[in-house]
Amino acid sequence: MKIKSLVLFTLAALLVTSCQDKDDASPSSPTSGSVVVDITNVMGNTNVDETGSTSYTTNAGETFTVTKLKYYLTNFQLLKNGEVKYTMPESYFLVDESDQSTTKLTLPRVPAGDYDAIRFLIGVDSLRNVSGAQTGALDPAYGMFWTWSTGYIFYKLEGKSPYSTLVDSTFNFHIAGFRNSNNTNAIREVVIGFNGDILNVTGGHSPELHLFVDHLRFFNGPPNQMIINGNENVMTPGPRSLLYADNYAGLFSYDHIHEDSH
Amino acid sequence: MNSSLLRNSLRKLWITFPVLLMIGCGPDEGPEPVAPGEEPISFSVPNGFPQPVYSFQNNPLTQEGFELGRKLFYDPILSRDSTVSCGSCHQQSVAFAHADHQFSHGIDDLIGTRNSPGLYNLAWFPNFMWDGGVNHLEVQPLAPITNPVEMDETMANVLVKLRRNQTYRSLFLSAFDSDSITTQRVMYAMAQFMGAMVSASSRYDQYRQGTGSFSPSEINGLNLFRTHCESCHKEPLMTDMQFRNNGLDPQFASDPGRAMITGMPQDSGLFRVPSLRNVVLTKPFMHDGRFSSLTQVLNHYSTGIVQSSTLDPHFSNGSIPLTSQDKTDIIAFLYTLTDQRFISDRRFSEVQ
Repeated sequence: MKIKSLVLFTLAALLVTSCQDKDDASPSSPTSGSVVVDITNVMGNTNVDETGSTSYTTNAGETFTVTKLKYYLTNFQLLKNGEVKYTMPESYFLVDESDQSTTKLTLPRVPAGDYDAIRFLIGVDSLRNVSGAQTGALDPAYGMFWTWSTGYIFYKLEGKSPYSTLVDSTFNFHIAGFRNSNNTNAIREVVIGFNGDILNVTGGHSPELHLFVDHLRFFNGPPNQMIINGNENVMTPGPRSLLYADNYAGLFSYDHIHEDSH
Repeated sequence: MNSSLLRNSLRKLWITFPVLLMIGCGPDEGPEPVAPGEEPISFSVPNGFPQPVYSFQNNPLTQEGFELGRKLFYDPILSRDSTVSCGSCHQQSVAFAHADHQFSHGIDDLIGTRNSPGLYNLAWFPNFMWDGGVNHLEVQPLAPITNPVEMDETMANVLVKLRRNQTYRSLFLSAFDSDSITTQRVMYAMAQFMGAMVSASSRYDQYRQGTGSFSPSEINGLNLFRTHCESCHKEPLMTDMQFRNNGLDPQFASDPGRAMITGMPQDSGLFRVPSLRNVVLTKPFMHDGRFSSLTQVLNHYSTGIVQSSTLDPHFSNGSIPLTSQDKTDIIAFLYTLTDQRFISDRRFSEVQ
């Protein structure tokens, strides 16, 4: 008899809980909170200056400055013990170093709980590359879209270098490609663990996850040491782009978690 | 007696019922006289056509969306200095090709490298451009808008110009229930206009559906076409939607065609098999507009095929043997592919 009522009570409690789960859409719901991913773009030890006035040096000894840095981060998931616990729907972000509002990515309505890693893609999944006109962060008006050969540009780094052989000393890296069929897939998955820290999401509580993105590794790798001289323009999908894609897969590192961004 | 009464009552009912229906519709919804070519826009699959690739699934076709797309298509506001519209190089009188232009002149009179194709039955195309580089109807207009020798504009700036235009704001409002102007909505509207441009009313269509007749020469031309051409120019769309090397050049350094998109050497020198609907109107011919007449085209296929490493297997035995009478008859057949109704349909014309 006692066991019976306990079972009933538990069932009722579960029902109530599942009802509350459905209320996740409401921002005030105590069972979910937002997570802010705060991105700091750096070149080695210094912040990226994309006004073109700071010089950086690759491990190959080539100096360069940066005038544009934009890239897509998409399809976010939060993990615990290697298991995906939350997949954010419609998660497409364009990080643009010239617009600091784009370096804080808000993942809304994350279910309350503990997470120990984050997973996302650098690039835009193939489905969105073949499904016609998109909007939001995927609006082609952001200039991250090849119109002559349909597809999003995943990672764009432009600047100048005395090692460039072009008359105006510029370089233009527009790296992308989404097809496995002709081996041009430059989409890269990134999983960043929190070094034993826990991202704790509770109702009304917005933890902030700080990531460092070292774009010097775009040239240095690992795995590939890239040379600017003779490779100033990389703007089509293909084998050369994949060398850079393998490098940008390794740009991200965990820095710290703020318990609450407020 | 009873039965005739019943018959009379039934007869009265037959008369009364439609009258009641008409009254029920009310004066506002009564059928207004519609001039030919001014019917409300709609999309349906013509008899004998396959299912379209573009089905307006996420972008339902509406009169307002179509009319907005039509206005955008003919508006040079899409170009950097407001001199070039889509309609500049795609003229309805020639099935939306560019009349008598081997290459079209875009902004600042700059010249492109490929011939402007006719536009029709686009909803059946899995990809666009001579090299197939554009993979969806909804993103096709971005290519000419941003091409430096065509309209040389950015989509970001197009949006700025459209957003400060009160007429466009109200047109977007009526087409999409809000006056927010985004790339997606511009492209949706243009896809509605372009996707609804169906050409399926040629004499050939009447013949194939048994409602029209051909002359003996046209019938012979159709039979020769089916023997020699139809394997690539597949009926009823008159293209198999593939990319092929039809023996124009020995090498392709100046324009590798499909290989520019796929990066694969075996695609070098391959170009889209164009639809031959309205072909008489869409001269000059080939991706680079090198032939100005259909006779030149048929002479190429009968005596001019050039060998190369990627030549299509259809030409592995060399050229296609055609007598001069054969050519005359094939051309007579090709004339039946002209769709007068399509090129005079006022729904697709520039609003004056």
